[in-house]
Amino acid sequence: MQALKFPLAVSAVAILMCTTALAQEVRFTHSITGGASRVALDAIIADFEAANPGITINQIVFDDDQYSNQGLITQLKSNEVPDIFFEWAGYPVQRDVEAGYAYDLTEAMATDGWKESFSDAVWTDGAGTMVDGKPYLVPLSLDLTNTIWYNKKIFAEYNLTPPATWDEFVALNKTLAEAGETPIVEGNNEFWPLGNWAGHIAAMVVPPDAYIAAFKQEAPFNTPEFEKALNLLVGLHEVGAFNKDMQALGADPAMATFFQEGAVMHPIGSWLVSETANLAEEGFEYGQFNTPPIDPAHPLANSVIGTITGLVVHKDAQQPAEAIKFLKFLTSEASQVKWAESGQMSPVQGVSEKAKLDEQTQAMLALMSNASGIVPPPDNKYPVPVAEAFYQAAAYAASGEKSAKDALVWLDETLAAMGKQ
Amino acid sequence: MLFAAPAMLLFATFVLLPLGASVYYAFTYWDGFSAPRWAGFANFARALTDPTFLMSFVHVVLYILATLVFEVSFGLFMAVLLNSDRRGFSLMRGMFFAPVVLSMSAAGVLWKFVLDYRTGLLNSTLRSVGLGDWAQPWLAQPETALLFICIVSGWKYAGFYMVIFFAALRRIPRNLYEAAKLDGANGTQQFFAITLPMLKQNVIVCILLAVTGGFAGFDLFFTMTNGQPFGATEVPATWIIKQAFDQNQIGYGVALTVVLTVVVSVISIAYLKISERGHVTRY
Repeated sequence: MQALKFPLAVSAVAILMCTTALAQEVRFTHSITGGASRVALDAIIADFEAANPGITINQIVFDDDQYSNQGLITQLKSNEVPDIFFEWAGYPVQRDVEAGYAYDLTEAMATDGWKESFSDAVWTDGAGTMVDGKPYLVPLSLDLTNTIWYNKKIFAEYNLTPPATWDEFVALNKTLAEAGETPIVEGNNEFWPLGNWAGHIAAMVVPPDAYIAAFKQEAPFNTPEFEKALNLLVGLHEVGAFNKDMQALGADPAMATFFQEGAVMHPIGSWLVSETANLAEEGFEYGQFNTPPIDPAHPLANSVIGTITGLVVHKDAQQPAEAIKFLKFLTSEASQVKWAESGQMSPVQGVSEKAKLDEQTQAMLALMSNASGIVPPPDNKYPVPVAEAFYQAAAYAASGEKSAKDALVWLDETLAAMGKQ
Repeated sequence: MLFAAPAMLLFATFVLLPLGASVYYAFTYWDGFSAPRWAGFANFARALTDPTFLMSFVHVVLYILATLVFEVSFGLFMAVLLNSDRRGFSLMRGMFFAPVVLSMSAAGVLWKFVLDYRTGLLNSTLRSVGLGDWAQPWLAQPETALLFICIVSGWKYAGFYMVIFFAALRRIPRNLYEAAKLDGANGTQQFFAITLPMLKQNVIVCILLAVTGGFAGFDLFFTMTNGQPFGATEVPATWIIKQAFDQNQIGYGVALTVVLTVVVSVISIAYLKISERGHVTRY
């Protein structure tokens, strides 16, 4: 029996140590699966763990679509909730707060000047990081959800330059299509890639009040202004702008097609930059331009479409103090410099000046700072079923399956059948 | 009763309780995040006016009809054709059966590559033989997408039905064919007068499997088109998944599931009742 005492004591101490170690584990779920940003995130986490030996960060990672469809909801409903979860600003944050999943960060933000370390713009009413004036989302990135990426070599081959007006843009597409090129590759089998862009186009054409009212189901979509917006997509279809397999292609294969020079332009968000190293050949030269102004008199003629993505601490987090400690580290200037250098646009003040940003990130930051407004993507701002229905109507128009008018009639009928969301 | 209790408890926990909960959630507005709110029959009323959901039944019926041709009929044809002990026939049966062991998702992904517009094997072959104009985005066109799913499904499952029919063919007494031959019946007459009547029960089972399996069809549709283009390949299961998870309308998604369950149950029961009449011996 004496002989057993020592091993038992050692085992007891080991179990105690393990328990203590587990108690300091911060569960962090997100959808950053790869690319330069994941490398940067892993490096920041390694730095944090080295600086805080008692805390480990357990990353629970899902593919983007899986995360937003099933991954997050399953975890939020489970008995072992994540301490920190990735979220999009706007409607999703509001939903999380109403459902009781989000931790009120007012107190935490008030200490160490944390809140002031971010750009003022992320705490405005329209930014979607706060609910009832209380901060719930720790901003991590500013995302342009749509800009038009183009292949510089092919543009030069045809003596093309980024268009200044919509008409120039259509003419440019026509030139490329007639030369046998695929002007635009869009991977729209889930509707949101083109849908986001169509949302921006509509926001640049439709009076803001009418636009909001339609998405809130307080007014019909079938109006001359929305018809004009969708007709712009019909016009692009008619000059042969889009890839023929648009509705069968996924967002990622479409991006790969662009990098493999299978198309000249690719409308998608700022996250393309962090995928460049994985998908593009050495020396691939590309640039980007915003959707050209359509109606110069419109208040959002020079707007961009974008959102904030960030992190929420779960209201029932096992380790809220450690989670907040990690988030402060992650959004510290030093960490954010690494984050920005991976191709992300940091919401933290001063980072853009200190980080060695690549050409694309600098251009996007300039675009955002010169924009006359930031239009949120419809699926971040309004009920998802309404946004999805609008996206499908846009796809009908862009692929020539329905006229703009018929697509809008279909949209209103679909929303009527759906009822108020 | 005591001996049955563990089984009943398991059945209640894993079948009855989820079933009851599903029926309850079908009567609620529930996004999965917040607490469910009572909706009455609103979800069911919406289901009956949801054009995509209603069209998904049309698609699934077309798919089932196609499976009866590409899977059941072709499987029967191959079983009759390969019903021989001659050298090499067992290998051919094995090769024909091989796609059955592949997972449906893997088959979907594989064929998606084959049918890819830019780099797919089909279009590359057409281009290489000078038929580039025939190359089409097969899965992006409403006219062709469902057809190709049916063909892939046939490729995948015809071997399964072939094995069922082949096993049944082996049980048909040879002397029936010998007697038919003596009476001067040719191959076609033997098929319709002997083979088909003797396989009647197997045909009934195969049709039932094709019908119920067709309604439950999801993986091939999900991996190849996910309902696209524009709902042309939307079947109830893909639409339910989209409503419940992509659009966070779990209450509505569950209501659609209840409707689907009722439809499949009614069809299955009706089919079994009708088919029973054909072979019950009445005294």
